[in-house]
Amino acid sequence: MTDPVVAETLGHDDEEVRGSSLPRYLALKAGGALVSLALVVVLGFFTFRVLPGDPAITMTRGRQVTPGEVERLRQAMGLDQPLLVQLGHFVRDLFTGDLGTSYVYRRPVTELIGEYLGPTLLLTGSAAIISIILGLWLGQKAAWRRNSWFDKTHTGLALVFWSVPTFWLGLLLLLMFGGWLQWLPTGGMTTPGAHETGLAYVLDVAEHLVLPVTSMVAVVYAQYLMVMRASVLEEMSADYLTTARAKGLREDLVRTRHAVPNALLPTVTLIFLTIGGLIAGAVTVETVFSWPGLGYLTYKGLSAPDLPLLQGTFVVFSAAVIVMNFVADLVYRVLDPRLKAS
Amino acid sequence: MPGGGAGPRAAKTSTASGRAAVRAQRRARLAEVVRQFAAHRSGVVGAVLLLVIIALAVLAPLLLPFDRLDVTRVTAGANEPPSGGHWLGTDPSGRDVLGVLLWGSRASLLVGFAATAVSMVIGTVMGMAAGHFEGLTRSVLLRIIDFFLVVPSLILAIVLSTVLSRGLTTIILAIGVTSWAATARVVRAQTLTIEARPYIERARALGAGDGRILGKHVFPAVLPIVLANTTLTVGAAIIAESTLSFLGLGDATTFSWGSMLKIALDTGAATAGYWWFVLTPGIAIVVVVLCFTLVGRALEAVLNPTLRSL
Amino acid sequence: MLAVLLALAGGAVATTSAQAQESDKTLKVSLVGDIDTFNPFLAILLSSTGLNRYQYEALVGYGKNSEPVPGIAEKWETSNQGKTWTFTIGEDRKWSDGEQITADDVVYTYTSILETPALQEANGGLVTNIDKVEASDPQTVVFTLKSAQASNPGQEIPIVPEHIWSEQDATKFKADSDVVGSGPYTLTSFKTGQTVEMKANPHFWRGKSKIDGLTFVSYKNSDAAVQGLKSGDIDLVDGLTPAQYESLEKSDNIKLNAGIGRRYQALAINPGAIDKDGKPMGDGNPALKDEKLRQAIFMAIDKETIVKRVLNGLGTVGQTEVPATYQDYFGFADGHEAVPFDLDAANQLLDDAGYEKGADGIREDKQGEPLVLRLMGRNTESPHAQMADFVESWLKEIGIGTETQLVTPDKVNEDSTLGKYDLYFTGWSLGPDPDAQLAMNTCDSRPNADGSGNTSENNWCSSEFDQLFKAQHAELDKAKRADLVKQAFTTIYEAYVSNPIYYIKPLEAYRSDRVDGFVTQPEKGGVILNQNGYWGLYSAELTSADAADDGGTPGWLIPAAVVVVLAGIAGFVAVRRRGGAAEDRE
Repeated sequence: MTDPVVAETLGHDDEEVRGSSLPRYLALKAGGALVSLALVVVLGFFTFRVLPGDPAITMTRGRQVTPGEVERLRQAMGLDQPLLVQLGHFVRDLFTGDLGTSYVYRRPVTELIGEYLGPTLLLTGSAAIISIILGLWLGQKAAWRRNSWFDKTHTGLALVFWSVPTFWLGLLLLLMFGGWLQWLPTGGMTTPGAHETGLAYVLDVAEHLVLPVTSMVAVVYAQYLMVMRASVLEEMSADYLTTARAKGLREDLVRTRHAVPNALLPTVTLIFLTIGGLIAGAVTVETVFSWPGLGYLTYKGLSAPDLPLLQGTFVVFSAAVIVMNFVADLVYRVLDPRLKAS
Repeated sequence: MPGGGAGPRAAKTSTASGRAAVRAQRRARLAEVVRQFAAHRSGVVGAVLLLVIIALAVLAPLLLPFDRLDVTRVTAGANEPPSGGHWLGTDPSGRDVLGVLLWGSRASLLVGFAATAVSMVIGTVMGMAAGHFEGLTRSVLLRIIDFFLVVPSLILAIVLSTVLSRGLTTIILAIGVTSWAATARVVRAQTLTIEARPYIERARALGAGDGRILGKHVFPAVLPIVLANTTLTVGAAIIAESTLSFLGLGDATTFSWGSMLKIALDTGAATAGYWWFVLTPGIAIVVVVLCFTLVGRALEAVLNPTLRSL
Repeated sequence: MLAVLLALAGGAVATTSAQAQESDKTLKVSLVGDIDTFNPFLAILLSSTGLNRYQYEALVGYGKNSEPVPGIAEKWETSNQGKTWTFTIGEDRKWSDGEQITADDVVYTYTSILETPALQEANGGLVTNIDKVEASDPQTVVFTLKSAQASNPGQEIPIVPEHIWSEQDATKFKADSDVVGSGPYTLTSFKTGQTVEMKANPHFWRGKSKIDGLTFVSYKNSDAAVQGLKSGDIDLVDGLTPAQYESLEKSDNIKLNAGIGRRYQALAINPGAIDKDGKPMGDGNPALKDEKLRQAIFMAIDKETIVKRVLNGLGTVGQTEVPATYQDYFGFADGHEAVPFDLDAANQLLDDAGYEKGADGIREDKQGEPLVLRLMGRNTESPHAQMADFVESWLKEIGIGTETQLVTPDKVNEDSTLGKYDLYFTGWSLGPDPDAQLAMNTCDSRPNADGSGNTSENNWCSSEFDQLFKAQHAELDKAKRADLVKQAFTTIYEAYVSNPIYYIKPLEAYRSDRVDGFVTQPEKGGVILNQNGYWGLYSAELTSADAADDGGTPGWLIPAAVVVVLAGIAGFVAVRRRGGAAEDRE
C-alpha cells in the first residue's frame, strides 16, 4: 500500500490511475506532457530574452558599422519584430527541427546540440544507472539489516556524500587519481591524438568516464539509497505482511517477494523525477573534467548571451525531463500492484 | 493534530476555556515533539553542532574584527601553510584562512536560511492553493508547479543571477525561486489529505471562507511537514550557493565558503597543493549540510508518524 | 564469463600501449577557451585566431622580436609617398597541397574582405584604407591605398588558397578539416570541445617542422590542465596562475617559462563618455569629469604592491599602455613620468580641490553627495577580484567609497562601451604595430549611441591626441614615428583615463623530458604560445623517442572495474533468484 503522500508527490490521483484503461491513461499523460513541453518552450523563450545584451551589437562591436547596418543585422536576425512574432517564428522553426544559428559558433544550433548531446547522455546515463543500481541495492539491504553495522555505515556514508558539493568532490578526485596517483586521465573524453576504433575506443572512453561518473554517483546514489530504504522499511511493517508472516512466510521471502517490489514502485518513479537534477549536475562535472557536453555548452552560452543556443539547449533539457516524467507515469501505472492484483 | 474536532457547536461558541484547552494541547504536543526528538541521537548531535556554528557566525565580529582581514594590512605572506600564528594558514591574499572561514560562514548561512525562507514561503503558499482550489485555478497552479519542477533549476538560477545585479540578494532570490516546487508538491499532498477530513467539511458547511480554512486549519497542519522540509532545504541551498560561486555567479566581494572555493580554484591552489585553503571550505560545507540533514531527518521522523519507526 | 573478461583485459592492455607509441611524435598542448570557427574571415576569438597563425601566413610576418619579416611576400616596397605598396611573392612559396602560392590568392583574399560585408568580421577594420588590390603578374601584388600610412597593409591578414576557397561559399566554409594552408602546420581535424589536430606542412618554405604534428587538448579548467602536464597527458601548458607556476618549480622534468607579455592591465576611469554625435553616453559619476579627482585616484594605486601580492612578482609595473615587449614604443615620452603612489599627496590634492570629508571619512562631491564609485571587473579573472580588494582599501584611505561588481566579460564589454561605469579593470593585448591601439582613442573611434560600431578604448577624445595620431599614422621614418607614438600614449596617460597597473608575465610550463628548443618571442625572455607568429612551436624538437608515459594508466584498471561492477550486479541478481527458487518449492 503506497503512502498517499508519496503517491500525491508523484501527482497521481488514485481515481485517475485505477479508473482508466491503459490507452486512455497513456493519452491523458501524453497530453499533459505535451502541454508542459509547450509551456516550457514559451516560458523558456521569454526567460532568455531578459538576459542583458543586444546580440547585433555584440557581433559587430569594434567594426566600423553605421547604426543603419546594425539595424539591418538586427532585422536579419529577426530581433526587431515584436516578441510574439519572434516566438511564432521560433515555434514554427521548431517543428522543422531548425533551432537557429548560434551567435558565437556560427553554426546551426541543432548541429551543435547533436555534437554535444551524446557525451552528456553518456555521462548522465551512466551515472544514473550506476546510482540507481547501487542506491537501490544498498538501500533495500540496509533496510533488511536495519540498525546493523551494515545499515549504520551505509546510511552514514550516504548522508555524508549527500552533503558534498559535486564540483568539489570532482576536483578532489581529479587531484588524487589524475594528478597524484596518475591512474586516470585528467580530462576530456578520449586520449588526445590517439585514433582508436572499436573496442579500444570504447575502453578509452570508459577510462575517461570513471572519474566524472564517480563524482556524480557519489552525490546522487545517497538519495536513492535513503528513499529505497525508507520505502522498504515501510512496506515490511505493513499489515498485509503481518498476515503473511503469520501464515508462515519466511522473512527473506517477505522481503524479496513483497516488500522490495512494492517499495520499488514509488522509488523508481521518484528516480525518474530526480533525473532532472542529474542533468543540472552535469554542468559542474563537465567543467571540472573538461567533458565535451551540453551542460558546459549551455553555461558558456549564458555569458554571450547566445540566444539561439540557449533556447535550443533549454528545450532539449526540459524535453528530456518531461519525457522522463512521462515514463515515470507509465511505469507507475504498469507496475501498480493494486492493478495487478485486481 | 490540533483539537479542531470538538464539534460544530464548540467551534461556533469558542469559549475562553476552549481556546485555553487548545493552547494547552499544543504546548503538550510541542513538549512531546522535543522529547521524541531528543531520542534521536544523530539529530541532537546535529542540532548542537549547528547551534555552535551559528553562534560562532553571529559572534564573528567580536572574535575577529573585520579589518584584520583587510588585504592592505595583512602582514603574513600569501598561501602560507598552517602554523602557530595561522591555524589554517593564509589565503592567496595573505589573509588568515580561519578568519575568512569564520566570516564566510555568515554569508553562507545567511544565503542558506534566506533562500530557504523564500522557497518555503512560495512553496507553502502555492502548495496550499493548489490543494485547496479547484477547477481552472488548480490546473493553472499545477502547470506552474510542474514547470518549475521540470526546468533544470541550476540553469534557471544561472539565468536569474546573470540578469539581476550582483549581490547576495540575487543569489538568495535565484536559489529560492528555483527550489520551491518540491515543497509545493508535498504541501499540496498534505493539503489534500487534510481537506478530506470531516471537520473541514463541517467548517465549510458552516460558511468558513477560503482564508479561514487555509489559515486556521490547513496551515497549522501543514506546518510540521514544512518545518521538516525546511531543514533539508537549507543544506541544499548552501550547496547551491557554493555551486553558483564556483561558476562565477556568486558575489565575489563577500566572503562565503563558495567564494573561498572559487578563489582557491581560480588561483590554482588545488594544484599547488595548498590543501588548507581547498579542503577547509568544502569540509565546512559538508559538516553544516550534514548537520541540517540529520536534524531534518530526526524532525521528519518525529513529525510524520508513518516514518516514526524508521 | 571470467574467461571473456580476461580476454578483454588482455586486449585493453595491448591496445593502450600500442596507441602510446603511435601518438608519440606529436606535441600535445593545452587549449583553454572555446573555438568559435577556423574560418579566418570570421574567427575573432584569441584561441582560433592564434591557431590560425600556424596555418595561414600573411604577406608580411612577424619575426622573433615581432619585427616585420617575409611571409608570403619575400620583399616589398612603397612608392607614391606611401600610397602604393608593391609585394613580391617568393617563388618557393607553396600551399600544403603542393600548389604554388600566387598573386591570385592574395587578390582573392583581400578582395573578399573588401567586397563582402559578411567576411569582414575578423579583419574588416584593417582594410578600410585600401582602395584596390591587383595582381600585376603571378608573383607581384600592388596595393593602392586611399592615403599614406606607416603600417604595413600586408600584415595580419591570413592569405587563403583561392583554388580551394573559390569552390566554397566563403561565408559558410568551416575550413576545419584537412585544411590547405601555407604555414608550418595545417589543421587535420577538429573535434568540437575536445581536440584540434594539426600536422606539419611538408611544403612550408622555411622548411618542414621537426615535429610531425600538434594536438591541442581542450581543458575547461586550469587545474586539470596542470595535472595533465604532470601526468604526461600533455606536454605544454600556458595560462598558469602564479600559485600553479610556483608549485611546478620543484618538479624535475618540468621547465618553466615566465615570458614578457604583450598585454597590459589597467584601471580605467570614466571621464564622461560621449558618443559619435557628441552626446553624453552612460551613467558615469559626473564628479569624475574633474581631472584632479582622476589624478588623485591614480596616486592611490600602489602598482608595486599589486605586482608583488597579486601576481607574486610575476609581472612588471605598468607605464604607458605599451608593454616592454615592444622596445621601440615602450615608456613615456622624454620628460614625462608616471604619477607616484602617494596617499598623503592624494589626500592633499583632494582637500585642495574642495572635496570635503564627511563624518564617515567619505568625501562629498561638489553637489554634496558622498563620493562612492562603482568598480567593475571580470568574474573570470581572479586578479580582478584580488586587485579590487586592494583598490577598495586605498580609495577608502583617500576618502572615496567603492562598490565592486564582478560580472561576465561580455557584460564588462557592453557596459564599458556604453559608458555605464565609473571605474573598471581593462586590458588589451597589443600587436606589434601600435596604430590599431592608438586608433581606438581618436575622436572618430567613438561608438554610436546604442554602443554599436566603433570601439573607443577609453571613451575619451582630445584634438591634441588626434593630431599626434595622424602624424604617426603617416610617418614613414622609424625613429620619428617611435617618438610620436610615445608622445601619443603619454597623452592618454596624462588625461588620467587609464592607469596601466602591470604587464602580466604569461606563465607557461612544459615537459623538458619530452620537448625542448622553443624559440620565444621576444627571443630573450618571451613567450612560447600566443605569439605574433609561429616561432614557438615551429622551432621545437621532441627529445624522447621511446614510448614514454601514456599517462601511467595501469591497463588492468578498466577491466578490473568492469569485473567489480558486474560482480555487484551478479550478486544482486543472485540474491533475488534465491528467493524465486524457494518459491517453486511452495
